[in-house]
Amino acid sequence: MQEMDESRVHPKLKDLVVEASRSLALLDADRLEELALSCRTLNRRLAPLDAEARAELKLEAAEAAGDMAVFGRVLEATRANLEVMRRLRRLRAGCLEYSERQVRGRGSAEGSHGDN
Amino acid sequence: MGTISSAFSLISQALDADQSGLSIVANNVANASTTGYTEEKPNWQENQPIEVNGVSYGAGVTETGPTSVRDKVLEERLNQQQQLASASGSRLTALDTLQALFTPASGSSSSTAGNIGTDITSFFSSFSSLEANPTNNADRQAVLSAAKTLAGDVSNAAASLNSQKSALDQEAAAVPSQVNALTSSIAQLNLEILSQSPNTDAGTLEDQRQQDISQLSQLIGVNQVTTTNNGISITTTSGQLLASTGESVPLTTGTVDGVTHFFVGTTDVTSQLATGGGSLGGYLTARDQDIPSVLGSLDQLAYSVSTQVNKLNNAGTDLAGDNSNAGNIFSEPTQVAGSAAAMSVVMTDPDHIAAAGSGKGTGDNTNATAMATLASQTIVSGLTPINYYSNLVTTLGSTVSSVQTENTAQTASVTQLQTQNSALSGVNLNDEASAMTTLERSYQAASQVFTMLNTIMASALNLGEQATVA
Repeated sequence: MQEMDESRVHPKLKDLVVEASRSLALLDADRLEELALSCRTLNRRLAPLDAEARAELKLEAAEAAGDMAVFGRVLEATRANLEVMRRLRRLRAGCLEYSERQVRGRGSAEGSHGDN
Repeated sequence: MGTISSAFSLISQALDADQSGLSIVANNVANASTTGYTEEKPNWQENQPIEVNGVSYGAGVTETGPTSVRDKVLEERLNQQQQLASASGSRLTALDTLQALFTPASGSSSSTAGNIGTDITSFFSSFSSLEANPTNNADRQAVLSAAKTLAGDVSNAAASLNSQKSALDQEAAAVPSQVNALTSSIAQLNLEILSQSPNTDAGTLEDQRQQDISQLSQLIGVNQVTTTNNGISITTTSGQLLASTGESVPLTTGTVDGVTHFFVGTTDVTSQLATGGGSLGGYLTARDQDIPSVLGSLDQLAYSVSTQVNKLNNAGTDLAGDNSNAGNIFSEPTQVAGSAAAMSVVMTDPDHIAAAGSGKGTGDNTNATAMATLASQTIVSGLTPINYYSNLVTTLGSTVSSVQTENTAQTASVTQLQTQNSALSGVNLNDEASAMTTLERSYQAASQVFTMLNTIMASALNLGEQATVA
């Protein structure tokens, strides 16, 4: 088996964060789900790290702080966008289920029924 | 009606409707690459059934014309995000130029505004050299030379800041003509839509109007209000009307205190436009907030250093024997504002540097020591000169970083909305559901990534601390 590039086997935190922001901007759900798995694995591997690796990770965390802030803002913007889309979808679904013609058609049928 | 003739009639109408539908599809295909074109869908309407002797007979279908597949909510959200992204983008460009000004020159001996920190240190250090040999002419010349370098770099920085402010002012002043062309076009399109399709989607006309609004959103912050008869009114974010049906109100400019101000009618809307968004918002924020803030700090630095150094020089005795009357080293500022631009060295004879204390012999160094000590005294707004300057540069860097973050996030948000818009201007419920699912999946996965990365980073920092303690 060919040896993989070191940066691909052990990507830096900064690279992970930047990749996550980029993928979220492009709504690349598959890539984001892969990244979530990678992060879970990385998190599990934290405990047995030796002192040197811990110091290196600490440095990486400091380097990634700015990009993490960007990722946070993109996530925040996505949440707002998602809310807009959900409302829009509810609106559109409402229009489809209760279109003008259907409401007009039901008017006579429901006039004599219901609580009113 | 249940005859072969009526059946042919029904089929004939159905074929007409299909033909009409195909024309709409053909139009969609033809405009697939047209910027701003929104796909159109045919509308089918069932003909009123005909009742004969209590029996209802179907009367076929008619194609009633196309409707554009358009999400006004999404388009409006996209325009809003575009306004924010444009504002932070143009502000960021200005801030990058500003920051470059305060970046020390490398590989060159020429003095630049970026070397002010070094200049401050060199200037006060020159008094330390003079302190060791207060009558030495070379050391006295070195003091004046360091003072000239410092004053030159500070005044050059102020000149560059003023020049950048003027350039931004010119860029901002060019925006209204573009805005007015667009608002005028929107007003005209409103009129055409009113006359052609006041109650239904106006297709191409509506596409043109949306494109105009989108371009307008990149220039200034606007609100759009849907009015009767398919009209859209455009206002500034503070509510001044810019366009309605058949009428547009021009954005005009005038000079107030040496800079361009913007008016709608007689109302000065400059500050509202600065916070409203669009590239004009970014230009104005940089022109009226970022540059004046840096220039103000530089003025304070120049004012404090000049007045304190002059005061001490006039408190000592120079080589010519002038006691408490040696004169100023720097031009004496009368007020803080403008001090940086006016900073210069007025002393020409190094013998007038008062190295000796008041009433002491010319070989004394007490005053030179006091001058050198100014470097570590909190003489500029409660900070030492070098710390004050470092603070200025750090604050600027922090602002640039913050605006960079904003811009990246806003640009990403625009990209997301454009992706959604492209997916949704498709077509059927399945595609819509798929686009929505992609958005939800992306958000959920990204939330997990964020939470996990946050945990990892917190752990990394804590693990580091524990290792240090151990």
